[in-house]
Amino acid sequence: MIDNFAVFGIERRPVVDENFLQAVYLRKGQELHPDRVGENDFSAINAAFQCLLNPVQRTQHLIKLEFGDTAPSCIGTDLGELFGRIAALVRWADEETVSIAAQDSPLLRAMTFQRLGPLLENLMALDAELSEKRQNLLRQIEALDQRWMVSRSECRDPLAQVAVDLTFVQKWSTQIRERILKLEELV
Amino acid sequence: MNDIVGIDLGTTNSLIGIMDSGFPILLADRDGSRLTPSVVHVPESGDPIVGSAADRMRVLEPERTLYSVKRIIGRRPGESDKENLPFTVKSQSGQTVIEVGDQVLKPEDVASLILSKLKMDAENALGRPVKRAVITIPAYFNDLQRQATKRAGELAGFTVERIINEPTAAALAYGLDRLGDRSRIAVYDLGGGTFDISILELSEGVFRVLSTNGNTRLGGDDIDRELARLLKERIIGRHPELRPQLEDRIFSARLREVAHAAKIRLSIEDIVQVEIPFLAGNQNFAYALSRQELEAIARPIIRRTRAHCLRSLDDAKLDPRNLDEVILAGGATRMPIVRQFVAEVFQRLPNATQNPDEAVAIGATIQAGILSGEVQNIILLDVTPLSLGIETFGGLMNVIIPRNSTIPCKAGEMFTNVVANQTSMQIVVLQGERELAKDNWELGRFELEFKSVPKGMARVGVQFEIDANGILHVFVRDTLTGIERVVELTSAVDVTDEAVEKMIAESLDHAFDDMSERLWTETVLKSNELVPAVRSALILVGEQISTEDRKQIESLVSKVDESLKSHDVHHLKKANAALDEGTQHLATLLIDRAMAEAAKRKK
Repeated sequence: MIDNFAVFGIERRPVVDENFLQAVYLRKGQELHPDRVGENDFSAINAAFQCLLNPVQRTQHLIKLEFGDTAPSCIGTDLGELFGRIAALVRWADEETVSIAAQDSPLLRAMTFQRLGPLLENLMALDAELSEKRQNLLRQIEALDQRWMVSRSECRDPLAQVAVDLTFVQKWSTQIRERILKLEELV
Repeated sequence: MNDIVGIDLGTTNSLIGIMDSGFPILLADRDGSRLTPSVVHVPESGDPIVGSAADRMRVLEPERTLYSVKRIIGRRPGESDKENLPFTVKSQSGQTVIEVGDQVLKPEDVASLILSKLKMDAENALGRPVKRAVITIPAYFNDLQRQATKRAGELAGFTVERIINEPTAAALAYGLDRLGDRSRIAVYDLGGGTFDISILELSEGVFRVLSTNGNTRLGGDDIDRELARLLKERIIGRHPELRPQLEDRIFSARLREVAHAAKIRLSIEDIVQVEIPFLAGNQNFAYALSRQELEAIARPIIRRTRAHCLRSLDDAKLDPRNLDEVILAGGATRMPIVRQFVAEVFQRLPNATQNPDEAVAIGATIQAGILSGEVQNIILLDVTPLSLGIETFGGLMNVIIPRNSTIPCKAGEMFTNVVANQTSMQIVVLQGERELAKDNWELGRFELEFKSVPKGMARVGVQFEIDANGILHVFVRDTLTGIERVVELTSAVDVTDEAVEKMIAESLDHAFDDMSERLWTETVLKSNELVPAVRSALILVGEQISTEDRKQIESLVSKVDESLKSHDVHHLKKANAALDEGTQHLATLLIDRAMAEAAKRKK
């Protein structure tokens, strides 16, 4: 299994120095890009870079390297409640989107848009809440990074949990943003 | 020779260039022009004509003069019928073709004719043969469109060294003399038929694309079409008796030319005199078209670019404030309304120092220089614009390579047999962002073969690789046998023309018997929704429109009321449509009002 941390010559831990990572990536790009030196496995370098830059992928990669495959965690309990609200809001947004799209009269569409105030407000509030959740999860990774130096095995389960939660939070964020854009686009 | 040329194969114009002593130079044709209209005229006998000469034939023989072919290259039939082109576009054996008289051409054949002319012009200008090229395409082109463009280059006699994304090319042109700087830029590229937005980071000669988004069906052509429609309405307004003649193909072509020319002039002037002499016999038509009128039509079209800009910023995880520059490419960005719009979305004035018609070609030329080794200090890291995946249970798309992954990239999936002794499994490969498989582009499908083994024992690995052109290659490796092979995706559209006709005929059979009564009921329902909405709208934003406009709207409402009493479905439909069109301005005002209220609430 490829150790992406090794590809970039950085220490195996939950947090990476993004500026350093990027500097190394750009240098490798200048030296090893296929346009310059011909066909080679530059895609592996691209893959390693994108993995290390992405908190979820990096955490999962780290867990795999250190502990082998771990059992996947369940979603955190505090997120379960959030999920309920997101599902309801997304459903509401999708219904409105369909009904507006079905309107072929610009005026009728415009009138429906008037109604969308509360819906858009809710979507944006939820978006903000998800951003906050994401920041919290990233801070947890930073805290675990400190513990990592003391005891790696202690970090295993919390890291796995953060990775799962972050995956959901990011996915929902994209879905909410997409609904906001879709509604604005229809107009 | 080792020369590699750079080519911008545009919807409206094409250009070709080469590196000369470290500078990208665009080459001119025999008439001294660096721009070659992307137009091909196919005469009844003799060779096709390409370029300005063909452009002049657009109004004279619209069915034989092919333009904006980029809007249909690489598309399947059915995707192309909304294009409103004056020449005949059809489906043949599941492919899109163009019929001119008794000749049948594929869109890539037409593109190859344009590329051949460029090749010839370059060879004339340089005095030596040219065999290798870099060709640009919209960043948002999918795999099929890229392959078709590459094929067009090969048909023209080129070895296509690279297919490069247009906004990335524009960024190269911009950044060529700013290599020391570290900056983040957005490229807003609005051409004749396509729109792309890309966000890049420039640092020590490395141009890294962070994200890209766009719409391959949005461009200046759409504005031309709407403007032509407006002019047609004005003509009919003055000369209602001319309505039937205005449907004529030749007249429509003339009108489009006039609209296109007026649009361009209105980027500089506030008002232009549109003239159509000898309109149907002795009538001359002259109309003073204001920039305001043009902008009212253009605004909704340009607004459609906003969502793509926001998505691109989102994917790059950037705020407009984090950008250092926004640069423009594509002729349509010359319009003042486009520049204002870009300034609004990105909260800064766009950098308009480059020639928007030439930036992409210059960039293609620089990339050609990188590949030939003449340009040493620049590296391009581009991305794939669309997520790549396969269809899974429940008709969903499972993403294997997410959009905006830096290319070249690869990812693999392992497949196993779900029942004992299963011999094969069909894999459907998709490109797009939608959750349901059927809402995405199908690139093709292939069969995975399993040896006869118990359930779960087969292990066949599929490797998806997207190369530096953004083109997909699929490899299959059976881990049990170790056999590896390249997979050819077969086109999904194996629907023959007869099958399509059968489907249409069957759907007609299921049409409601009491069609006319149903139609009347539907039309009345629409009126009953529309009229109260108009009255509401007049109350909410009525004071923002002029008294004449208000009177006009009220008379349109009366017409609807009258038609309701007449029980004539055609009258009522027309009255509804007229009221719809007549209240578009009100609709825009309502939206503006709602958005202003939303903005207030945010604070």
